[in-house]
Amino acid sequence: METRSFKKGLPKLFMHLRSQPIEFVLFLCASFSVVILLLMLLFVVMEGSLAFTRLGTQLILGQMWKTNSDLYGGFPLIYGSLMVVSGALLISIPLGICTSIFIAEILPFQLRDPIKSVIELLASIPSVIYGFIGVTFLAPLIASIFGLQSGATAFTASLILAIMVLPTIVGVSGETISAVPIEYKEAALALGASKWQTIRNVILPLSKSGMLASVMLGFGRAIGETVAVLMVAGNVAMVPTPPWNYLAPVYPVTAVIAMQMGEAAVGSLEYSALFGLGLILFIITFAVNTIADVIVRRRPVGRSVQL
Amino acid sequence: MSGQTGEKVIFAILGVPMLICILIFLWILSLLLTGIGTVRWELFTMSALRGGMLEMIVGTIYLLLGAAAVAGPIGVLAAIYLVEYAPSGGLTRIIDQAINNLAGVPSIVIGLFGYTFFCRHLGLGVSLAAGWLTLALMMLPIVIRGSEEALRMVPASFREAALALGATRWKAISSTILPAAAPGVVTSVILGMARVAGETAAILFTSCVLITRGLPKTPFEPVMALSYNLFVQIVALGAPAQRVFGITLVLFMIVTSLSLSAILLRSYYRLRQPWLRMKG
Amino acid sequence: MNRERSHGSIQTSRAIIVMTLLFIVGFASGYYTDTLFSSQTVVWKEDVAWRTESISISGSTTVLPIANACAIAFMNKYPGTSITVTGGGSGRGYSEVIDGVVDIGMASRPPKQKEINDAKEKGVALWLYPIALDAVCVVVHPSVNKTLKLTLQEVGKIFAGIYTRWSDVDPSLPDEPIYVVVREPGSGTRGTFEEYVMEPYGYDVTDAAHVRPSNPAVRTTIETTPYSIGYVGLGFVTSKMVVVALAEEEGEPYIYPSIENIASFKYPISRYLYLVTSTRPESGSLADRFIDFILSPEGQEIVEEQGFLKLPRYPAGV
Repeated sequence: METRSFKKGLPKLFMHLRSQPIEFVLFLCASFSVVILLLMLLFVVMEGSLAFTRLGTQLILGQMWKTNSDLYGGFPLIYGSLMVVSGALLISIPLGICTSIFIAEILPFQLRDPIKSVIELLASIPSVIYGFIGVTFLAPLIASIFGLQSGATAFTASLILAIMVLPTIVGVSGETISAVPIEYKEAALALGASKWQTIRNVILPLSKSGMLASVMLGFGRAIGETVAVLMVAGNVAMVPTPPWNYLAPVYPVTAVIAMQMGEAAVGSLEYSALFGLGLILFIITFAVNTIADVIVRRRPVGRSVQL
Repeated sequence: MSGQTGEKVIFAILGVPMLICILIFLWILSLLLTGIGTVRWELFTMSALRGGMLEMIVGTIYLLLGAAAVAGPIGVLAAIYLVEYAPSGGLTRIIDQAINNLAGVPSIVIGLFGYTFFCRHLGLGVSLAAGWLTLALMMLPIVIRGSEEALRMVPASFREAALALGATRWKAISSTILPAAAPGVVTSVILGMARVAGETAAILFTSCVLITRGLPKTPFEPVMALSYNLFVQIVALGAPAQRVFGITLVLFMIVTSLSLSAILLRSYYRLRQPWLRMKG
Repeated sequence: MNRERSHGSIQTSRAIIVMTLLFIVGFASGYYTDTLFSSQTVVWKEDVAWRTESISISGSTTVLPIANACAIAFMNKYPGTSITVTGGGSGRGYSEVIDGVVDIGMASRPPKQKEINDAKEKGVALWLYPIALDAVCVVVHPSVNKTLKLTLQEVGKIFAGIYTRWSDVDPSLPDEPIYVVVREPGSGTRGTFEEYVMEPYGYDVTDAAHVRPSNPAVRTTIETTPYSIGYVGLGFVTSKMVVVALAEEEGEPYIYPSIENIASFKYPISRYLYLVTSTRPESGSLADRFIDFILSPEGQEIVEEQGFLKLPRYPAGV
């Protein structure tokens, strides 16, 4: 069955090419993303295959990451990444969503664009600079506040990451709020609802899924952040004791990759294990994005809704 | 009356997070500005061999322009396909999903892929070309999404008018829709450039070196870039803050001027093109 | 909204074929370019040829400041030459020299057995050029003690996590947890340190060690973290940290990493820093000239400026 459609498909394709060359080129460009994504998966899997066959689930569940003894257990690293990211989101979600509501609904009209631009500019500060600020200003501050030996902790990394993902959350959820048709708002206000009632009962429910999507996007951005995290997270390949201790250092996956990739001999188990970690990151972000996508698709209003 | 004061209190509470955001921004800005006095401005036009950073600035621009040249056309054409041609089926959904996923791939993973695929598999080595392609992958989703939005903003009447005049479909797109959407498309490319200008992780393994003579003469030579240099100066060489402040500031200026120009362009055309105001 | 169904649209099955083709093209193109770029020919260099040549260097971040400064000085001296320098680590230096990716590698340790085997397998002989002397200095934050003396085994026990509090080492030291800072695996500094301090006693670095990617990063951490201990190259010691005097065994003299002690190798963790080439560079080639430059008095001065020690005597005709 499949082979038949394949045989039939090929000549049709070339016929199609002759009649619709432009559409074909456009389609090629559009499918580029799919192809690249598949190539990415293939190559990361290929380079990581040695680690998967030799280490198996040890790469994800193993407790020890010791390059000296060729032990590559990624659990403390993955745990560190998730810990830092969830800390960052706990800080940035309330901040970001309140900010986006305030900007879109409460702030005087003339101030909206300038303030939105300022927050957009926060996104454009390179992560090296964030890392630098984290190391030189934030870490000593945190060390002295909590009376720690060193300020390079999961908490510091979470704070820096929170600042870095704020613009994403503010931007995307702000967009969904302004995508709520003005007629809905006007109808609510005309019915005698106060501004706050309108926000709470009309705007928030309608843009809930968009906000969730913005959080997912923020998660993706945060878990992939490398340079800043490497500089402030403390880099100890151990699950903190107790596991929720944010004032302990962690060693997130991205930091390990950036730190060891330059040193690993191509083709060695270490090199392969780093690609294995890369694949785990890839899968996590892939899953999160897919969830975000499903949420956005289900959302009741969007830009395409018109009255 | 009491309802109104209650409302005001709620609004004030909602305003606090925004103030925190602004304060964070001002704090970072002030940290950066404290170093401005120590920057020797003549360094900007001096060769790296004499302690300046001319090659890094131009190298960064090379990387950005090359990446834009790769991602721009592909992204715009992909957007045209998605807006104008794509059937609303499972396949289009897959493409849509792939673009979203590509946007979410961590830059370090893109860097890893760039290293194995462009540098090693395609044999480009650590080179400008490998950097272009790697950064283009990061820009692509931004360009596609931005262009798509710009194309969707063009009123249907434009296309209908062109088609009614007997234009073919492609003719209608290229002669009326695309020019009308051009500002939005350009904005999306600039935003894409702003996104990758400060990127370090993706070019860490693929295209940058600490020092070399001059600029690459062919795309197959490595390049010096601000973000990478800053990373190595701070992390590996441990240069004191004052010495790298020049680089930090230039990088910040490049990135913010790109973002600002995109923001300004967007608001300018929103005023110029009436149909954008209707929907914006 | 604008997604009209067009009768000429590409259908799923065909689209999948196109994507598959594109995928195969992407995958296969590597094998084509492989042959395209690998056709480099080796020619005999005239004496002037090196003035317009270019070479590339990568490897140890410890040697990086030296190579960076020397490359800048060399290129300023001979306009027309091009020397590309990038970091990575000693491991990368060796592997890229063996693979022929770079002309010269930088290393802060001699090659490991695995690297020597790799080189043999690929049919290249590694040539090591010592270009500077360095010591791995064990440093602590001043809060521990202003003058600390330890044997190598004690240091090993600290880094292995056998001692976890300073008072375990010596009751006179503060009863505070030890904050252990190490370098990333693959680092030459870490390799040298472990070779002298950990391996002889069969110790392995504790899980609780804080990993830092470079000497300066370790320096900053030690300077700002009370009760911390770490190790850095000589060029990275500052007045905000205390250098530990080391003794090989209990009862032997405790020795500080002073210039004389390092040069005479009395300090237990003294080492050379190397440039590495695969097979000896042809005399008169740029690689050869550049190595000569670093070994010349002018180059050795740069070595000192960067905080390392000159070679004790000029090694003629290496």
